[in-house]
Parts: sequence; structure tokens; C-alpha cells
Amino acid sequence: MAELSQQEEILGKAYDIRLIQRLWKFIVPYKRLFWMAMLLLPLQQAFGLAQPYLMKIGIDQYIAGRDLKGLQGVGLLFLAAVVGETVTLFFHYYFSMLVAQRCLADLRVAVFSHVQKLPMSYFDRNPVGRLVTRMTTDVDVLQEMFSSGVMTLISDFVMVFWIIGIMFYLHVELALVSLALIPPMAVAINFFRVKARQTYRQIRERIARINAYLAEAISGMGVIQLFAREEKSYREFDKLNSDHREAYHLSNLYEASLYSMVEAAGSVSVALLLWYGGGEVLHGVIGIGTLVAFKEYINRFFVPLRDFSQKYAVMQSAMSSAERIFQLLDTPVTIESPKNALIPKPFRGEVVFDNVWFHYKPDDPVLKGVSFRIEPGEKVAVVGATGAGKTTTIKLLNRFYDIQKGYIKVSGVDVREWDLQALRQHIGVVLQDVFLFSGDVRANLALGDRSISMDRIEKAAQFANADRFIQWLPGTFDAQVRERGSNFSAGQRQLLSLARVLVFQPEILVMDEATSSVDTETELLIQDALDKVMKDRTCLVIAHRLSTIRNADRIIVLHHGVVREMGSHAELMEKRGIYYRLYQLQYEREELKLATYDAAAKIHD
Amino acid sequence: MGRLKTYLWRYWRRYLVGGICLLATATLVMWIPWWIRDAVRIIENGGALRDIRFYAALIGAAAVVQGVVRACSRALIFNAGRDVEYDLRNDLFAHLQKLPLSFYHSQRTGDLMSRVINDISAVRMMLGPGVLNFVNAPLYLVYALVLMLSMDVRMTLAALAPFPLLIFAVAKFRGRILKSSLEVQQQMSALSSHVQENLSGMHVVKAYTQEGFQTRQFIALNEDFQAKSLELARMRGIITPVMQGFNALTVLIVLWYGGIRVIRGDLLVADIVAFVAYLNVLAWPTAAFGWMLSLVERGRAAMKRLEEILKAEPEIASSEKSLPVRGLKQGIEFRDVSFVYGRQNNGHPTLEAINFSLPVGRSVGLVGRIGSGKSTVAQLVPRLFDVSSGEILMDGQDIRKFSLRELRRTLGYVPQDPFLFSTSLRRNLAFGRDEVSDEELARAVRIAKLDRDLEIFPQGVNTIVGERGVTLSGGQKQRATLARALVMDPPVLILDDCLSSVDAQTEAEILQGLRAILKEKTCLIISHRISAVKEADEILVLDEGKIIERGTHEELVNRGGVYADLYQQQQLSEELEQI
Ligand SMILES: Nc1ncnc2c1ncn2[C@@H]1O[C@H](COP(=O)(O)OP(=O)(O)OP(=O)(O)O)[C@@H](O)[C@H]1O
Ligand SMILES: Nc1ncnc2c1ncn2[C@@H]1O[C@H](COP(=O)(O)OP(=O)(O)OP(=O)(O)O)[C@@H](O)[C@H]1O
Ligand SMILES: [Mg+2]
Repeated sequence: MAELSQQEEILGKAYDIRLIQRLWKFIVPYKRLFWMAMLLLPLQQAFGLAQPYLMKIGIDQYIAGRDLKGLQGVGLLFLAAVVGETVTLFFHYYFSMLVAQRCLADLRVAVFSHVQKLPMSYFDRNPVGRLVTRMTTDVDVLQEMFSSGVMTLISDFVMVFWIIGIMFYLHVELALVSLALIPPMAVAINFFRVKARQTYRQIRERIARINAYLAEAISGMGVIQLFAREEKSYREFDKLNSDHREAYHLSNLYEASLYSMVEAAGSVSVALLLWYGGGEVLHGVIGIGTLVAFKEYINRFFVPLRDFSQKYAVMQSAMSSAERIFQLLDTPVTIESPKNALIPKPFRGEVVFDNVWFHYKPDDPVLKGVSFRIEPGEKVAVVGATGAGKTTTIKLLNRFYDIQKGYIKVSGVDVREWDLQALRQHIGVVLQDVFLFSGDVRANLALGDRSISMDRIEKAAQFANADRFIQWLPGTFDAQVRERGSNFSAGQRQLLSLARVLVFQPEILVMDEATSSVDTETELLIQDALDKVMKDRTCLVIAHRLSTIRNADRIIVLHHGVVREMGSHAELMEKRGIYYRLYQLQYEREELKLATYDAAAKIHD
Repeated sequence: MGRLKTYLWRYWRRYLVGGICLLATATLVMWIPWWIRDAVRIIENGGALRDIRFYAALIGAAAVVQGVVRACSRALIFNAGRDVEYDLRNDLFAHLQKLPLSFYHSQRTGDLMSRVINDISAVRMMLGPGVLNFVNAPLYLVYALVLMLSMDVRMTLAALAPFPLLIFAVAKFRGRILKSSLEVQQQMSALSSHVQENLSGMHVVKAYTQEGFQTRQFIALNEDFQAKSLELARMRGIITPVMQGFNALTVLIVLWYGGIRVIRGDLLVADIVAFVAYLNVLAWPTAAFGWMLSLVERGRAAMKRLEEILKAEPEIASSEKSLPVRGLKQGIEFRDVSFVYGRQNNGHPTLEAINFSLPVGRSVGLVGRIGSGKSTVAQLVPRLFDVSSGEILMDGQDIRKFSLRELRRTLGYVPQDPFLFSTSLRRNLAFGRDEVSDEELARAVRIAKLDRDLEIFPQGVNTIVGERGVTLSGGQKQRATLARALVMDPPVLILDDCLSSVDAQTEAEILQGLRAILKEKTCLIISHRISAVKEADEILVLDEGKIIERGTHEELVNRGGVYADLYQQQQLSEELEQI
């Protein structure tokens, strides 16, 4: 279902200096902890590397020299090295996890608050499921990077050089023999790296597809079941799922080969060591202890190489996750308050549209030169066929989108110069798309504002006629609301969202089909209440039922993005244009009903 | 965990061959120290270089073979882990599809998503690398133990002296890691639920400038998550170094105790070398043991959470011997139907004693105040919910006796909340059908009066709509869902207030178009507007879940009850406008 955007196509590099630099910015606040963790590493390595050397001394000097005392001393040193290694390792791990958790928590918050600022057009294009993945799973992959010890990657390399150095110090030829396999290994590792890189890219792409599909299937499960499309969507899902599995099978093969190859190379190196070193010992050039130490160093040398294949994989996914997270963070906030944002005082509920042109997609204008003016305290209705651009007008008013031409002024100031938050606080909108948060009724009406009194909430509910059903709910205002308000009827949800706007008592009230799913009786009651509440406030109402707008001072008829007619009811009727026809249509039907009613009444007599 | 076993069992061959490869790898790995000992012995005793080289060659050959076998074992077992993941994900999806709507009403989408994404991957880690190490660790241990014992009993015992302590520590940690993992996974769920909800309600968040509040809530959840994760990290942080430390300790013991015995003369340096080599071989499995432990515990925690979904009963399903649906012959009948939504409404029934019949070719209109139960009546027909008492009959048979799939395919349902998938309009409209011709599509589009909109869209019917259809206007969305049902061309149509966001003119045109096809169809129409139900053969007025009036339009208007009031109100408001 979900179409895949370019975002998933990113080719994951394992190491990208630009990304590392950006990640570093998040580590900076925890710099001290970070460096502590990093500084513990050489210490831990020193403790670790000392052990084989101590072993060599123990064997060659004290065991061969039959010196118990000396052996004891070496043993104690060895013990100290072991304890030292354990303790430093723990603290290194703990500190780096501390850094990781803290800076990733910061990163998550940074992403979340950035997303809050993104314009609505962004959410039109990007499925929710994918954005959720950015903030949770992708950040988690970064954590994996820290916890699997990728931070030690650099120090691993340092250690490899240390080992090489010690080996050469101990015995040059033996060192050369032990390290003979390095060049062919490097070639092989590189080969697998390139192969693996392609499969990782595929994997990330495919898992993103699976998740997007799943997210949509879960929210649309009702429709899938109603149309009995379970089998079809199962097949689609299975296809995505098995593609993903296939990609992984390949990558598993590469990983397994690389890992096993390194392991095998380690043992072959030991064989080489014996092959050559055996003779050296026989000739008395070196002691057995040196041979043993070499064997130990070979071991320690190959462990980082072996882990490298795994760490590389983690690193690669981490980089592609980081890339996507930063891409999200880089998404420009195209709609925000300007530098010197204005908050006109006193606020006048005046709205002006002047030659407004707007399109969602280029070449597909939705509003084509719309102009109108609403005086403070005026009640204006917008009518027009579906898809005419009514809702769009409202979304432009509180700057969900920016227009391409013309200007929109509220209280005499262009909305693009307004402080965005203030603008939206002055305009209360009941959107056509009703949305309730999970929580309780009260939290849905007052939202985040704890200072709103219960009294005000109850009043608003009363005006919206929502109190009638709220009082029957278990716990009334504390009654539970499920996600999207799924445990309420459509009409009840509309009333709740209407009550919400009334709680905030905005200077300008905008209602987009706010009572379309409400029965006539309730609607009439609401209208009477609204007349009282909104007495001196500006009101902009969109409705299809002409009865809903009977109290409007003025009516704007929008047709295909153009204002076709404007004026009071009487004026428009005079004009005999679109409004007149619309009106006639409803009126005629009622006329017809009247006739039958009369007829029926006669029979009744 | 029972369910996991069945999955593992399904791939037993893979795991078995993988296991054999592991055994072979272990064998080769274990003989290498043995040969090293033999070689060093020769060195110690001043033997021939040729003999040493023989062992070196042996070791080299073993290493190469071992590499190949090891690669096989890893690929096999990791792939099996992926296969189980695949199965599990498919099964979860299939199961989710079977769960009734009431399940989704009680869950948060973000939570479900988090389970299916994050928990499955935790389970897979347990079944791939987890299983591998789980087999490897004891295998290596036992193998090494036997070989070491056969070399020197006392030395072995001394070397392995710290192990019981290790086992004790592990046993102690296990439960705590499990608990902690579970908490982390749960907190992750809470986090993603919040994000999910925030993003789906973004228009409300913005319109009410709730960004700050939402962010504060997120920060609070995030901090919780961080705390829980750190707790887990601390435990994981302890285990790995301690395991490594233990291993180094055993090496020390060998060196020390072995050294003393070499000096005493009852042991060779070669033995020390071999012992150290064995302990080296054991180093990885023991160190990885801690890691594996956290993998397994995390996987178990995740599996528990998945089980919660898998255990949810698909309450609404076809019965064992379900009857086939062969068109609709007589009609649909509600017989004494009552319905309660779970524990909501204080157990107060949402519907009570609903009786009506919808004969084939006829139509029934449903009106009533908001929350009176109209949509609930409609949802009972396709069994989105099952009746609490009474029964709904189709052609004289309880609908629960029919195959669910076939029952639903005879119904064209237009839900009150329009939902569209984020794909092309065309695919959305054809959703109910496998194949659909352009003419059929055009016909449905014409009746739903979507044709004019399609003309305006530059890409016409191939326009991609946003998630849930966000890039369409309210009326376009509603009409698209209507067209989707019409494309199915089902014998029964259920229209739940499906023209509420459509303007009067378009509505009149649609109703006119519908009237023509409604003649051949059986139809249940729900609306707040009398104009939409007026022509129905029977109109039911619902109030608080009960039918309070019924009859044709004329009868009801005559009776002067609620319906007549409603009618008058609608008229009155029209008249008011005229003045
Ligand atoms: N987010 C969007 N992205 C792209 N196109 C959009 C978007 N929202 C609306 N449109 C298109 O803009 C046009 C006007 O839509 P709008 O929602 O303003 O109509 P409306 O007059 O409110 O209709 P209705 O009465 O059906 O609600 C429609 O053709 C619609 O498809
Ligand atoms: N999933 C649910 N869980 C609990 N209660 C519910 C659920 N869905 C609906 N209700 C309650 O059941 C009652 C009937 O709801 P229903 O949706 O059938 O009303 P309706 O007549 O269709 O109303 P409307 O005209 O607003 O669509 C309402 O009081 C509602 O709050
Ligand atoms: Mg309803």
C-alpha cells in the first residue's frame, strides 16, 4: 500500500565523517563521560596485553628457571592485570552506555520537537508509521552501535598496532610469519564488505516497506475485514516479508563466511607459528614462553578482526539510520514565525483574503484569486460544492500552508508576519477531520492547559450539547477515550471537538462542517447556544446544509476555487445564481415534503 | 514458550544440520590445542623438526576445514532464525487480521506496531545468535572438560574451580534481566504510542498550539525509557567483563598451579600451553554467555508480549461447518437483538430488543439522535461485532452459521468514517474486487459523482491519496468510499450516513443515481437527513438503543411523533431561511 519514498534508498556507508560530526554534537554535552570511557580503553588494553607478556616471563624465566618466588610475583601481577581489565571494562561499558542513552534521549527529543514544527504538507506526504520508526527504531539502532562496542573500533585498531609492535619487539621473523596472512585477509574482508553493503541497503529498504504496510493495515483493519480482503493483504504482506527474508539470507551467508574465515585464519597463523617457530625453539633462539606469548597475541589480534565483521554490520545500519534521522532533522521548517513576529494588540477579529492563489501540487491550483473580507464580529458562511476549496481556505487562514500569491490578513497583519502560536491561539478551528486523543474526556476538551477550570469545561460541553451524553458515561468527564475516540459515535465525537473549541473561547471561531454528523434537533440547540457564545466574535462557518448557516450575515459561494457570489441571503436569492439554485434544490425537496405532509394531514383529518 | 517450540520444530532439520556442523566445528577446534601440546612436547623433549611440522600441517588443515564447517553452521542457524522471524511475522499478521474490531478499540496502534517491529526482532536475535551460543557454550565446555580431564584431572579441577561461582551469578541475574527487558520493551511501546498518536493528530496539535505540551509529555516518557534502559545496560555491563575476568582467572590458575607442578617436575610446559589454549577456546563462549543471556531474556520478554497478541481470541470467526452464501433470497432479519459494548456505559445496553426485517429488494431507513445506536445496528450485520443476545438472520439462518468471508462479500458497507489506503484512487476503488473493468469502475464513479473531481485531478484515477485519504476533501473521501462499495456490486448495501459531507446538489444527484440501482438491491440507509431515508420502505426511529417508531414516511409523519417533529424541524429551519 504505502509507496516508498526516496528516503529508504539511501546507500548506507559504514563511516561518514559528516554524520559522525553531527552525532558528535549530541555527545558534546556528555563529553567528560565520553572521554572517561574512551580513556579507560587504553588502560583496559594495557591490562589485557600485559597478560601474555607476563605469561612469557613466567614460563621462560621462572618456570624454566625453577623460581617459585618469582612465579608467585608474576602470578600476582597477572591477577592484578585481570582485575584491572575487568574493572576498566565494566566502567568503560557503563560510561559509554550512559553517554549513549543520554545523547540518544536528547536526539529523540530533538527529532520530536523538530517534527512538531514541520508544515502540514510534510505530513500529507509522509506516513505516520515511517515517522514513528525514525524516532524509535532508528534511534535504537544507534544505541546498538554504542552497546555493541563500535566505539571501541578505533581503539581496536590501536590495539592491533600495539600487538604488531610487541610481536616485532619479541621476535622479528616470528612476527612476520604470524602476520603473513594479513594481506590476503585484507583483500577478502574488503570483498565481503562490498557484497554485504549491497544487501544491507536492501534489507533496510525492505523492512521499512514491511513496517509501513503493517502500520496502514492496522489502522485500516476494519476496512480490510469488511471487504473480506484478508487473504489478499496477507499475500501482499507475505511477499514483502519473504523479500526481506531473502535479503537477510544472503547477508547471513556473507557474515558467516567472513567470520569463519577470520577464525580459520587465526588457527592457520598458529600453525605457521609452530611450523617456523618450532625450529627456532629447537635451536634455542627463543624460549617456549615466547612461542606461547606469540600464540596468545595472535589470538588477541584476530578477535578484533573477527568482531570487525559484526561491528561493521552494526555500524552500517547505524549510519543509515543516522542519515535518515538527520535527514528528518534537516527537513526545512517552511512555516514558522518570522524573526520580528507581530502580535497585534488589541486584536480585532478581522479577516482579509486578497487575491489568494494556492496549490497543493504545482499546476493544480485549488484557490484561484480568492478575495473577501470579514469584519470583526461578522458571521460569514462559506458554501460550495465538495472539493471547491472551502476547507483549504481555513487551513490557509491559520497558516497550515503558505499561499503562493496574494495575502491573507488577520487583524490587519499578514499571517506570514504573525507570531504563529499567537495567530493560532486567536483562531479556534473545528476541523472537518475530527480527532480525539486517547485519555479522558476532560483532557480532550482542555488539552494541555491545566489552568482551565472544570467549570469552563462543563460550560463548553453544555453549549456544544455534549453534556447530554457525557453525563451518562462512566465517570462523566473522567470517562476513558480510546485512540481516535473509537468508543464514541461519530456525532458524539463531533460534539466533543466542538466543545473543545468552545473551551478555548477564541476571538475568531471557524467551523468546518462541525455538525455534519449531528441530528437536526441537536444541531438547532447548538446553533442557539452558539449565537449566545459567539455574540461579538467573528465567525466563519462552512456547511453543506443551508439550514446550518441561517444566521450568517453574509454568504460566500466558492466554486472551483473562485468566489462566485457573495452577499446576504436575500441578495444572493435576488441574483438567481449558484446559491439560488442550491437553495431551490433543498427548498424544492422540502416543498415536496410539505405537499405530502399536507396530503397526509388531510387523510388524517 | 510453547509456541516458540513449534516454530523451532518446524525448522528442526536446519537446526539439526546446523547443530551437527557446530559439533564438527567444536571437534576440530578442540583437537587443535591437543596437537599444539603434542608439538610443544616434541619441542620440549628436543625432537625432530619434521614431527613438529607434521603437527603444524595438521593444525593448518584442521583450521581450513573448520572454517568451512563453521560458516555452514552459522549460516544455517542464523537463517533458521530469520525463517522463524518470517513465520512469526506472517502468523502475527494473519492473526491480527482475524481479531475483531473490539480488539483494535482496546489497543493503541503505536503499541501494536512496536510489538510487531521491535519485539519480533528481539525474538529473532534469541533464535539466531541466541540459539547458536546456547548450543555452543555447553558443547565447548563439555568437550574441553573431557579433553582436559583426560590430560590432567587435578589441573582441570583447579582451573575450573571458579565456575560454580559463575553459574550462581548467572542464575541470580537471569530473573532481573528478564524483568528489566520487559520494562524496556513496554516503555518503548509507550513511547511509540505517543509519537504515533501525536503524528496522527498533528492537525489538532497545530490548530490548538499543543506542540509544547506534546513535547513535554514526550520528554517525560523518554526519560522513563532512558532510566529503564540504563538499568538494563548496567546489568549487561556487569556480566560481560565478569565473564571475561573469570576466564582470565582460570588462565592464571593454570599458570600458577601448573608452574609449581612443572617446577616440581610432574608436568610439562606443553601441558600448560595446552590448558591455556583450551581456556582460550572457552573464552569466547563464556564471554558471549552473558551476551547470550541478555539476548535470550530479552527475547523471552518480547515473546511474552507477542503472545499477548497471539493469545487474543478471534471471537468473531466462521463456524466449523459454515454454510456457503448463495446470494440473498429472502432477506435479513433482526430478531430481538440486544447489544452491549464491553463494560462501557455501565453495562447499559447500547441496543435493546431490536426487531425488523429487511426483505430482499427493499430498503430500510434508520434515523435517530446521535449516539442512539444506528451505526451499531449497521456494524452487527457484517459481524464487526456479534450480538449479545437475539439473532440476526439471513435467509432464515443465523448469520453466525455462514462463512464470515462470504457473508461480508455479500454486503457493500460504507462506514461512517471514511478510510482510504495511501495508494492510487484506482486501487482504493477496486479494493473489494480482484479484477475490475474500466466500465465498472466508471459506473461506480459516476453514481458516486466522483467523475467531476477525477476530471480536475491531473492524474485522474491514478492520483495517489495520502494516508487515510488526507489529500482529498471530506466530500471526496466520502464519495470514494461509496464508490468503493458500489464497485463490489453486492446484493446488500449498508450506507452509514455516507453523504454527510456532501453538498445538497451533489447529494441530490447521488441519491437519484442510487435510487436506480437500489431497486435491485437490499439496502440499509442511515442518515440524519430525512431526504435520504424518505423513500425507504420502512423507516425506524432509534432512541437510546430502542426502536421507538416505525413505518413509512407518510405513516410516521401522520403519527405526529419524534419523526414528525424531526421532519418539522428540518422544514422549519428551511422556512426560517426563507424569511
Ligand atoms: N493535503 C492536500 N494535498 C493535495 N490536495 C489536496 C489536499 N487537501 C485537499 N486537496 C484538494 O484540494 C481540493 C479542495 O479541497 P478542500 O478540502 O478545500 O475542499 P472542500 O471545499 O472543503 O470540500 P468538502 O466539502 O468535500 O470538504 C480538492 O480537490 C482536494 O482533492
Ligand atoms: N466501540 C465502542 N465502545 C463502547 N461504546 C461505544 C462504542 N462505539 C459506540 N459506543 C457507544 O454506543 C452508543 C451508540 O453508538 P453508535 O455509533 O451506534 O451511535 P449512532 O446512532 O451511530 O450515532 P451517530 O449519529 O453519532 O453516528 C453511543 O453512546 C456510543 O458512545
Ligand atoms: Mg453513527
